Amino acid sequence: METREDAAVPLSFELNGETVAVRAAPAARLLDVLRGPCGRTGTKEGCGEGECGACSVLVDGRVVNACLYAALDVEGCRVTTIEGLHDGAGGPSALQRAFVTLGGTQCGFCTPGMIVAAEALLAANPDPAADDIRGALRGNLCRCTGYVQIVEAVRSAAAARRAGADAARAAAGAPS
Amino acid sequence: MSTETTVCTIGAYHRPATLDDALRILRDVPGARPVAGGTDLLVHVRDGREGAPPALVSLRRVPELCGVTIEDGAVTIGALTTMSDIVADAELARLLPAVHVAAADFGGVQIRNAATIGGNLVNASPCANLPPALLVHGASVVLRALGGVRTVDLRDFIVGPGETCLRDGEVLAAVTIPRPLGGLRSTFRRTVRVAMDMALVSVAAAVAMDGGTIGAVRVAAGAVAPTPRRLAEVEELLRGAVPDEGLLRRAGELAAAGVAPISDVRASESYRRHMTGVHVRRALAELTAGGVDGDA
Ligand SMILES: Cc1cc2nc3c(=O)[nH]c(=O)nc-3n(C[C@H](O)[C@H](O)[C@H](O)COP(=O)(O)OP(=O)(O)OC[C@H]3O[C@@H](n4cnc5c(N)ncnc54)[C@H](O)[C@@H]3O)c2cc1C
Ligand code: FES
Ligand code: FES
Repeated sequence: METREDAAVPLSFELNGETVAVRAAPAARLLDVLRGPCGRTGTKEGCGEGECGACSVLVDGRVVNACLYAALDVEGCRVTTIEGLHDGAGGPSALQRAFVTLGGTQCGFCTPGMIVAAEALLAANPDPAADDIRGALRGNLCRCTGYVQIVEAVRSAAAARRAGADAARAAAGAPS
Repeated sequence: MSTETTVCTIGAYHRPATLDDALRILRDVPGARPVAGGTDLLVHVRDGREGAPPALVSLRRVPELCGVTIEDGAVTIGALTTMSDIVADAELARLLPAVHVAAADFGGVQIRNAATIGGNLVNASPCANLPPALLVHGASVVLRALGGVRTVDLRDFIVGPGETCLRDGEVLAAVTIPRPLGGLRSTFRRTVRVAMDMALVSVAAAVAMDGGTIGAVRVAAGAVAPTPRRLAEVEELLRGAVPDEGLLRRAGELAAAGVAPISDVRASESYRRHMTGVHVRRALAELTAGGVDGDA
């Protein structure tokens, strides 16, 4: 494959809360830049054609397929990958813990994309029904688990997050 | 260390900030192609269906192509409006139910967050969701070139599979829909083989009742002819008639007889024909039965 070093241009965006500055070729996909120059290999390439969701990332909070997103279009945008979704202290998030404990991950290839898509769902809908979860994950394929455990994991994480939010509200509202 | 990554040989990627800049690049750079969400174009370039264009012109940052405006019931939808934008707009859902359903029953959320209305129309796939839904609402497209603008009825815009009347240097700027008649209801239905697939058959219909008879009516089908199209014979049959079971059955039969589907690996010609009739009958039942679901 021909490379066009001459055509590469500077690209700067916010990746998981940090500003990054790289160079990207005109044909580079966001997926290429994340896994290449940014060194974030948590985002996977399955089909490369928008069908499987393994490459799901958030761009300005919206979940998209990084395999179909031109890298140069994220100039100045906020990009969140699986590496940016933790509990705030670098440990696993409620979603990540639930996927592990409830069998929502087996070979793990689909898991980063699943968790990113589930994160987008829970940000918009903290208490989704099973059908909402299946709908929100329609663009994410899993060859291993059969989806039942994945839906269960998202429900369980949603409940844990709501409980956490309630506790945080109670703490904030308590007289100091 | 080299930090460049390249998957194919697109020579330049332009990111104009105004429509005039975009139009100038399209005029001046030989072979330059517009790209919106990229969910068709980047897939086609990757799987070899289309050669890599020497230059891409990203429309994502062109403000003139963004946003929905509604004035006295007449709707203008900017070309860069995504399926998710359409789905989230409650006023659009009320005025143009068929368009709402067609945008919602579309890929997964990742695709809906990127796929634009302009790309869906310019790509001109016979199986695309939005054309039938927009056809039953009498939509037109606004095409902009440097120093010129023209408005084309959607029926005349898509001229063949993958072919539109868009000229070199022109972009689709917006879709306009006249104010729906009072009491107009519309719907969209489709058959897919598996989730994330394009439609094997799609049907949209819009009906305004006039007392007990059908007043205004439009019916359109996708994926069953080289281009999405209105079914004039069916509309003729329905106009002014009382929507009883016999009429809806005949409308379905007429629709099935009037389309020209193909057989391919995804479905046979006769199955597509049959499903066209089924969808037309059920869509009409839904629209004429005071909200009663026609799926029974
Ligand atoms: C996994 C998957 C599932 C899909 N599911 C569906 C589905 O259910 N229903 C459906 O209808 N489609 C579906 N599609 C197809 C695709 O998502 C849609 O056709 C989409 O609307 C295309 O819009 P876009 O913005 O991504 O277009 P792009 O890929 O950016 O562009 C498509 C074409 O239009 C041109 N173009 C784009 N915008 C303009 C403009 N404003 N002016 C002039 N030219 C322009 C481009 O040059 C290109 O030729 C699916 C695609 C994938 C990958
Ligand atoms: S790798 Fe992007 S959707 Fe499959
Ligand atoms: S866990 Fe293997 S593909 Fe989902």
